[in-house]
Amino acid sequence: MTVHIIEDDPGVGDSLAMLLGQIGHSARVYPDAESFFEAPPPSSSDTVIVDLGLPGLSGVQLIRWINGLKKPPKVIAITGQSNRNIMEMLGDEQPAVLLRKPLTEELLVSHL
Amino acid sequence: MREDHSRSMSVSPSVSEARLASVLGTAVDGIVVMDDAARIILFNKACETLFGYSAEEVRGKNVKMLMPADYAHEHDGYLSHYLETGEKRIIGIGREVRGRHSDGTEFPIELSVGEAATPEGRQFIGIMRDLRPRKAVERRLAEAQAQLVNMTRISALDEMGAAIAHELNQPLTAIMLYLQAARRKASAGGAPDEKLVEIVDKGVREAERASQIIQRMRGFVEKRDPERRPVSMASLIRECLELVVLGDAHSGVKIFAEIPDDLPEISADPVQIQQVLVNLARNALEAVRECKHKVVRVRAFTEGPDMIVSVSDSGGGVPPEVVPNLFRAFSGVKRRGLGLGLTISRSIAQNHGGDLSVEPLGEDGGAVFVLRLPLDARAEETPAPAVSLTKGPSE
Repeated sequence: MTVHIIEDDPGVGDSLAMLLGQIGHSARVYPDAESFFEAPPPSSSDTVIVDLGLPGLSGVQLIRWINGLKKPPKVIAITGQSNRNIMEMLGDEQPAVLLRKPLTEELLVSHL
Repeated sequence: MREDHSRSMSVSPSVSEARLASVLGTAVDGIVVMDDAARIILFNKACETLFGYSAEEVRGKNVKMLMPADYAHEHDGYLSHYLETGEKRIIGIGREVRGRHSDGTEFPIELSVGEAATPEGRQFIGIMRDLRPRKAVERRLAEAQAQLVNMTRISALDEMGAAIAHELNQPLTAIMLYLQAARRKASAGGAPDEKLVEIVDKGVREAERASQIIQRMRGFVEKRDPERRPVSMASLIRECLELVVLGDAHSGVKIFAEIPDDLPEISADPVQIQQVLVNLARNALEAVRECKHKVVRVRAFTEGPDMIVSVSDSGGGVPPEVVPNLFRAFSGVKRRGLGLGLTISRSIAQNHGGDLSVEPLGEDGGAVFVLRLPLDARAEETPAPAVSLTKGPSE
């Protein structure tokens, strides 16, 4: 299983990848949705971690695209936004898991 | 068609008297002429309106009757002082004084005084402008600005809390994850380094403590329900521009507002949106302050599901190295202020389901800030989705 991380904050992306690497997953970080699209599409056994506040194409749009795949991988949305904002942003596009920053290892691992 | 003007240049006494009467009658300002004993010789139409006396009523009376008691008391002294010493205190200078209406009302006037030597002796001409309309405008401006500052303060505290919580969350998340990765590394393998594991654990606990503080701050800010009501963006934008321009009238900036009258209403918190617009407009004015070519342009239009308000200026644009951190808290390069304006503005836009972005260099030769707000605020009508949120550890 590969964990794809789409996160624009380099610190968050790198630390997330490092921790997942320690746990034994292979992790790839993309700074935005556009560069994620350039890579081969994720397989259904993968997990995609999407920061909702991406520059350019938004996290919500990215989740919509992933959910539209024939065999969509598991999606974990992460965000530093408030509850209210999250609801407004997501609308009907609910990811399987939504985690709020700051993230912890146990929280993350329980959803992988 | 040509006219012969030579006749009107004549100086026959009757003609010049008629002409004077017409000038006096037409003048918007009050004009009063008195002799060297302060007796009123002439009192024009505007004066009649201003003071509520007819010319007949005042003719020959002392000019003091047009003044409040405290001035009236001093006036004889002023006049004799001037006649004795020739020292000019008001003649040719003009100043703000108070007048007194026949009904006793006192009001501010701007008074300029001239002097004429006539065959009948020295005469003094006073020209008076009613300052009440200007005072009213000044007062309204001061009130509007005080109100804006007040509203901004209240909402800024909330917004600042939310913006800072968001900003701090990113590095804090990274810190926690790095520490947890380090802990795994330290405890993996044959001989775990107990001491190192313990230290990292302590580090994680401290990061969690910081995270709880942020969660609490965020919880506090989120308790308040957002205000959403229909807002006419066209009039809101115009109000904001008026406020900003009034507070900055001397700068010589050309401000273009391209705002269609049929701009739809949106559901928003008008105070917060006003705060964003004022912030953007002030930034733009500040950006062009030192420029030769000073242009600020505000455009509003709809685009798909969104309302767009763009504020552009001719201030040279945002340097590329500044752009990535432009919306980050405390990253500003301005000498004044905390550098929170754009952070808070973006946070407000996002709270409304929209966003605030920047094009570093636009058509006017400066930055373009683009505020995007959804025309239809979905969050308001639909109840929260049933999917449960997985919350952070401290909630």
